[in-house]
Amino acid sequence: MLHGHLPYVRHPEHEDFLEEDWLYEAMTETYIPLIAMFERLSQDRIDFRMTMSITPTLASMLTDDLLQQRYLRHLNRLIELAHKEVERTRWVQGFQELAVMYLNIFVNARELFERYHRNLVSAFKRFQDAGNLEIITCGATHGFFPLMGVVKASVRAQVKVAVANYEKNFGRKPRGIWLPECGYNPGDDEILKESGIKFFFVDSHGILHGTPRPKYGVFAPVYCKSGVAAFGRDTESSKQVWSSVEGYPGDYYYREFYRDIGFDLEYEYIKPYILPDGVRINTGIKYFRITGASDEKMPYEPRVAREKAAFHAGNFMFNREKQVEYLYDALGRKPIIVSPYDAELYGHWWFEGPMWLEFLIRKITYDQKTIKLVTPSEYLAENPRNQVLTPSMSSWGWKGYSEVWLQGSNDWVYRHMHKASNVMTSLAKQNPDTNGLKKRALNQALRELLLAQSSDWAFIIATGTHVSYAQRRTKDHLLRFFKLSEDISSDNIDEEFLKELEYKDNIFPEIDYRAHQ
Amino acid sequence: MKKVAKKPKATEIKPKKKLISKRVVRPRRKAAVVASKHEIPLSDMKAEQAKYYTGITGPSEPYYKRSAVAELEHRQIPARYDEDIIVLQIRDPWWAHSYWDVSSGTANRLKNELGDVFDRARWILRSYDVSCLNFDGSNAHRFFDTSVDFDARNWYLNFGSPGTSWCVDLGITLPDGNFITVVRSNTISLPLDGPSWVTDEEWMIPDDEFRRLYGMSVGLGPNVSSPVGKLWQERLKKDISSRGLASMGVSSPVKKIKEKGNFWLVVDAELIIYGATEADARVTVQDKAVKLRKDGTFTLRFALPDGKQVIPVVASSAHIDETRTITPIVARKTTRNP
Repeated sequence: MLHGHLPYVRHPEHEDFLEEDWLYEAMTETYIPLIAMFERLSQDRIDFRMTMSITPTLASMLTDDLLQQRYLRHLNRLIELAHKEVERTRWVQGFQELAVMYLNIFVNARELFERYHRNLVSAFKRFQDAGNLEIITCGATHGFFPLMGVVKASVRAQVKVAVANYEKNFGRKPRGIWLPECGYNPGDDEILKESGIKFFFVDSHGILHGTPRPKYGVFAPVYCKSGVAAFGRDTESSKQVWSSVEGYPGDYYYREFYRDIGFDLEYEYIKPYILPDGVRINTGIKYFRITGASDEKMPYEPRVAREKAAFHAGNFMFNREKQVEYLYDALGRKPIIVSPYDAELYGHWWFEGPMWLEFLIRKITYDQKTIKLVTPSEYLAENPRNQVLTPSMSSWGWKGYSEVWLQGSNDWVYRHMHKASNVMTSLAKQNPDTNGLKKRALNQALRELLLAQSSDWAFIIATGTHVSYAQRRTKDHLLRFFKLSEDISSDNIDEEFLKELEYKDNIFPEIDYRAHQ
Repeated sequence: MKKVAKKPKATEIKPKKKLISKRVVRPRRKAAVVASKHEIPLSDMKAEQAKYYTGITGPSEPYYKRSAVAELEHRQIPARYDEDIIVLQIRDPWWAHSYWDVSSGTANRLKNELGDVFDRARWILRSYDVSCLNFDGSNAHRFFDTSVDFDARNWYLNFGSPGTSWCVDLGITLPDGNFITVVRSNTISLPLDGPSWVTDEEWMIPDDEFRRLYGMSVGLGPNVSSPVGKLWQERLKKDISSRGLASMGVSSPVKKIKEKGNFWLVVDAELIIYGATEADARVTVQDKAVKLRKDGTFTLRFALPDGKQVIPVVASSAHIDETRTITPIVARKTTRNP
């Protein structure tokens, strides 16, 4: 299960905008490589299964004309830089080969991007329609539900708006949801049920600390009293990918994420490819392997890294086989192992991640008979009888609860968030049926509220990169919301202001403010 | 950015051990503190953070220009909304965060009713254990008081009892010891920090088996020795919790930040070969064709490693059978001292 998510970062008011790079990098390094992998697998007639969440904010960016154009511009610049690099590195042993590798990655990315008419959502949809991929939804803007306990109307809006957006993009209703940050609060499943959602995921302790005790641990889904199923995350397989002892991405032969030519190369040369004001940033071209703990890095060797990825995939598969054999005996039924990861860590942070995944899928198909890839829907259809329990409040964040999003640096936001939610609820109540300008203003108010709720802002504020941007986004959307709500209440809507917001924060054109109830 | 909520001073930082104790909470004067800003080990966050990493790490605002049209951006969000409110939110099985405010109307009413006494009153958070009951204000299992600075307007409370439910009154204690509730919070139910003792007849599992399964579910393996109630703590200690939060250790692609005081120097060299010929001539450098600018000039740039480079530049005329060759020979030798 891969969780694909980025917050809504789109700034039409600026020609270049640094934080939009989050999207462009993830496109080149994660989403496009995954789609290319799906294509190769289906060409080779491998009937694979994978589950993926594509959050409504991500889907909205991937289908946005402006961001598509800007991505192409970004990619063209990278291709130009890669061409220069191929020439520049001619005399340096091992580097020219790497420059060529990047040039190919970028050129192939452009080719794939154009082939799907610049719409990567349609590419993912293709593999869902083919039955290989189960795409699930997420909170509309990735709001963290456990900190909306006193404003359930916002949880409902996050779900309803997400479901409507999913239907628009994928032509049917979503069967499952990835709760933002895997954050579950008992009772939220009732809200999921209202929207026809059949299953969601929780971290392992969400199931293990549920009431009553789960007979099968995290190795079988459970039903909440609402009838919605919950799948528990398996820690062992997560550990295999991320831990310091067994974790794969830290292998010394894998590519080093933090050494980028944007910082390493001579200033005048690299200047056209960094920020317009001359501040160095990452370009995406990285020539070194992790090597070890010191700053001295050795050049990356793609062939060796590829062998490592194949080896690690084999190791992962072997461990799952052993795990399943043990569990099958212990449980007396077919266990399910749920291994969720942030999609962007595959390819973007762990460069070899998509390659590892492809090796894993091919090996599971051809090299063993013990385990099978399955989607949650398929598993539930095959195993409809499951225990009923109430999962425990939990998240997959640090220490397992809400502390990442609720601590000294970011706890100030909730007073304002809750206030805005309550105002939105009364506005929706006071205006059960409206049209024209007022309807537009109400819809825009809900957009602003939802955008303010992205858990990304609190996360970034807590962890310290791009803090001022995250603070601004929180404040800007709240300020815009409150201005709109005042205008609506006083029946004095400033159309110019509204128009500008509709242009800037254009997410969810299909939104209906009545979702916030 | 200016914070809108003033923080109480960190009067008492609870060691982590105490955070997880299940002892009964007794009324304490200074109960809770604000979580330290630096509590999250940043080194453990790299995998998640990488998504938002552009190479810029400074605290400055690198490239966020203010929009000309949305004048709003120059405003601050209001510090308060003139309302009577107290909200409780769960941080984890032991701690909750509360924020509050009292409207000027309510404050004035209290002042009028109490006179001078109001100024000498202490602000208190009274936490009621309301587990499994319908709280009517007087039937709590127990309660404890926490003195607060009203203007902090937010506080972290340590309830210390996973699985219990709590409700908090913000109020004042008068010099005669009487407590007056000003505003009452929502009720929260803290999650358990271990498995439930409630079992399901139909889905019964022997204790030993459950312990093994629990161990496997949280990545500790089936052969765990601790009692099942302690396993969650064991997992937290091993730091194998959430996605990528496993400490990545030395082998991870974690950026090494050059420490201050650790002097360093990096030097490299590049070579620029440039020239000019007839605009329509054919030029090769080391046998590779070069694209000329419209005016017949060209520039090539090479990373220059140690050693000797022989660089024949050959131009052939487009009109007559004539070529010119010029061959720069360049050597680089780098020494390091010390």
